[in-house]
Amino acid sequence: MPLFGPKTKSPQDLVKSLKESLNQLAKDKEKGEKEAKKASEDVCKTLQSIKTMLYGTPEQEPQTEHVSQLAMEMYQSNMLLALVQNLGKIDFEGRKDVVVIFNNLLRRQIGTRSPTVEYICMKPDILMELIKGYETHEIALNCGMMLRECCRYEALAKIMLYSQEFYKFFDYVEVSTFDIASDAFSTFKELITKHRALSAEFLENNYDKFFSHYQHLLYSENYVTRRQALKLLGELLLDRHNFQTMTRYISSPDNLKLMMIMLREKSRNIQFEAFHVFKVFVANPNKPKPILDILLRNKEKLVEFLSKFHTDRSEDEQFNDEKAYLIKQIKELRAPDGEPIRQVSSASDFKASDTAS
Amino acid sequence: MFQSATEVTVALNYNESCSEAVTMQFDSIARAYELYTVIGKGHKGTATIHLAQHIGTGMQVAIKRIDLENWDQEFGYIQHEIVLTKQLQHENLLPHFCSFIHQHELWTVMPAMGFGSCRDLIHAFFQAGLTETAIVYILRDVLRALEYLHGRGIIHRGVKASHVLISGKGRVCLTGLHNSFSTIKGGQRLRTVYDYPQHAVDCLQWFSPEILEQNLGGYDTKSDIYSVGILACELANGQAPFVDMPVTQMLLEKIHGTKPMLADSNTVGEFIIDDNSMEEVDEEGKRKTAEEKADNIFFQRTFSANLHNLVSLCLEKDPANRPSATQLLNHPIFRSLRKKTSEVLPEALQPVTPLTDIAKLPKDNSQDEEITRQMSEVSMEEDWTF
Repeated sequence: MPLFGPKTKSPQDLVKSLKESLNQLAKDKEKGEKEAKKASEDVCKTLQSIKTMLYGTPEQEPQTEHVSQLAMEMYQSNMLLALVQNLGKIDFEGRKDVVVIFNNLLRRQIGTRSPTVEYICMKPDILMELIKGYETHEIALNCGMMLRECCRYEALAKIMLYSQEFYKFFDYVEVSTFDIASDAFSTFKELITKHRALSAEFLENNYDKFFSHYQHLLYSENYVTRRQALKLLGELLLDRHNFQTMTRYISSPDNLKLMMIMLREKSRNIQFEAFHVFKVFVANPNKPKPILDILLRNKEKLVEFLSKFHTDRSEDEQFNDEKAYLIKQIKELRAPDGEPIRQVSSASDFKASDTAS
Repeated sequence: MFQSATEVTVALNYNESCSEAVTMQFDSIARAYELYTVIGKGHKGTATIHLAQHIGTGMQVAIKRIDLENWDQEFGYIQHEIVLTKQLQHENLLPHFCSFIHQHELWTVMPAMGFGSCRDLIHAFFQAGLTETAIVYILRDVLRALEYLHGRGIIHRGVKASHVLISGKGRVCLTGLHNSFSTIKGGQRLRTVYDYPQHAVDCLQWFSPEILEQNLGGYDTKSDIYSVGILACELANGQAPFVDMPVTQMLLEKIHGTKPMLADSNTVGEFIIDDNSMEEVDEEGKRKTAEEKADNIFFQRTFSANLHNLVSLCLEKDPANRPSATQLLNHPIFRSLRKKTSEVLPEALQPVTPLTDIAKLPKDNSQDEEITRQMSEVSMEEDWTF
C-alpha cells in the first residue's frame, strides 16, 4: 500500500513502470510461471498505486491534477489496449484492478466531454479485444464488467453493435458455465436495449441476420438461455421504437408457430413468456393471410387452451385482461372473404411482462 | 471454442493437505457428479444442497441446486452471488468450483465442508455454545475473510453462524455472499452506503444499528464488524442475542445502545438485571435468585477478559468507535494464536466428527426418478394444426 510505502510516484512514473513491467511479464510468461513471478508482482503493485491515485483512500479524496495527468499518460502510451491484451497474463487480483482503473477512466468527464470515450472511439480494437475476452474463462467476467460500462455510451455501443464481433454474443450466452453465460447475456441485453433509437435502427437494418441468430437462442437446450431470450424478445417487440421490427416479426408464420409451440411447453415460465409474444400476433390489426390462416385453423383449440391457461394467476390483473382480450379477438376472427375482420387497437397497447424474470 | 470443464487451482484455495498447486478439472455438466444425501436447504426452500462426488476424480463436493422454475425473484439476484464469488480468492471464503444449468435447475459445485455450518454445530451439539478456543480461531478466520472483502470495497451484510462453514480438516470459510454490496460502482468508491438489503429478513438480528435505522447517515464496512460481535455472542451463547425478540423491539434496543454480551461468570449479574429473554422466572412464578441463576451452565464458565473486550469493541454503537477488520486482527487475543486453525479446530469441536466418508451415505435417486417420471409422462396432449 502506497500509504506506508516510499513516497508516491508521479503519474508519469507509474505509467512508465507499468509499461515496463507489462513488457517484462509478457516476455517472462513465455519462459514459464516461475520466471514471471517477479514481473507479475511488479505489475500488480503498480496497478494498485494507480488505483489508489484514481479512487483515493478512505482517508483521502483523489487529486484531480494527478488523475488528469495519469489519464493523459494512459492515452499516450496506449495503455488501455495493452492492459486488455495482456489481461490473461496479469494475476487474479491485478485483473480486478485493471477493471476498476478502466471503469474509472471511462467515466472521466471534462465539462460535457468524455475524453476516454472519445479515445476508445479512435481505438475500437479495445472493444473487440474485450468482446473476445468472453472466450477465456479467467478473464471473461473482468471483460464483461468493462464492456457493460462501455455500453453506457452510445458511441461505443454503436461500434460494438455494428461489428462482426457482435454476433459472437450468440455463442457466448450459451456456454456451459453459468457465470460466463449469464454475464454475456447481461452485456448482450444492454447492447440492444440501452440506447433505444440506436438499437431500433440496428434491428431494422440487420433484421435477417439478427433474427436468424436469435432463433437459435429460442431453440436452445439451455433452459435459462431460452427463458431469457424469450422474455427479451417480448420486451423488444413491445418497445415503440422497434415498431418496424415488430411488424416484420409478427408477419412471419414460422414465428407464430414457434410461439404457439412454446405456449404448450412444460415449463410454466416459458409458457408465460411465450404468451407475451403470442399476444402481439393476435392483436395485430392487419394480420397477413398466412398468420390469419393459422389462427383460424386453430380457433377452437386456442380458445379452449387460453381459457384454461394459467388460471391461478388471479391476482395479476393485467395478464387476465390481456388473456380475456385475446380470447375475445380469436372468437371474433373471420376469414377475409366472409365478414370483414374487426379493427382492433394496436399491439403496442400491451406492456412487456414484468412479473417473471 | 469452449471446454465444458472449468480449471480451478485447488491448492491455493481448497486442498489444505498439499502445498503444490494442483489444477483440477470440474465439469460443468450434471452427469459428471453423483448426488448423495441432502445436507441443507436455502433460499426459502428453492435451493437444496447435496453432498456429491465428482465421478472423474472421486472427490467429495457439495452441490447447491436451485429450482429456477419455482424461483420467483429476478435471475440477477442469483447471478450476483455467483459472479461475485468467481472474482474472489481467499482461503477463508468458500469458493465455487463451477456453476451450470441442468434442465431447469442451477447447479453450483463447491467444496464439501465436513463439519457443516457453525449454526448446525451449535444446534446439534453445542446448545450452550462453543469453547473459547474454537470461538477465537473461527472469529480470526472470519475477520481475515472480511479484511479481504473490505479491502476490495465489498460489504458482506450476512455475517452469521449459518454462513460460517468448517471443513472436515478444520478450515473456516465464510459464505452467504448473496446479500453483499460492492461500494465500487461506476468508477467511484462510495464512502457511505444507503442500500437496504432486499432479501435479508433472516439476517436482521445480526445487522448493525445503522443499517437497521436506514437514516441519512448510511453505513459502511464497519457494519460487518458489528455482525462479527453478534456472531461471537451466537458462537459463545448458543444463540444470537435478540433472537426471541420482536423485530421492532430489537431495533429499539440496538438504537438505545444495548450492548449484547457473552454469558459467563463475569456477566451473570448483567443478565439477571437486563436481559428479559433469559428465563428469569421459575415454574412457580418466583424470581430466581442470583445464586440459582449462577448454577446455570452459562454462568459457570468464564471467558477471558480479552474475548469480552473484543466483543465489546465490535458492538460499539457508533461505527467510528468500532475497529476495522485489520485492526481487530491485531487484537491481543489473536496475536497470541500460534497455530493454524486446522491444527486446533477439529480437536476443539470434539466429540463431533466431520462427514468425510461419502460411501456410507445414501445415494440420491431423485434424478433417476425424475427421468422415469418424464418418460412415463410423454405428452399425449393435443397439438396445433399448422
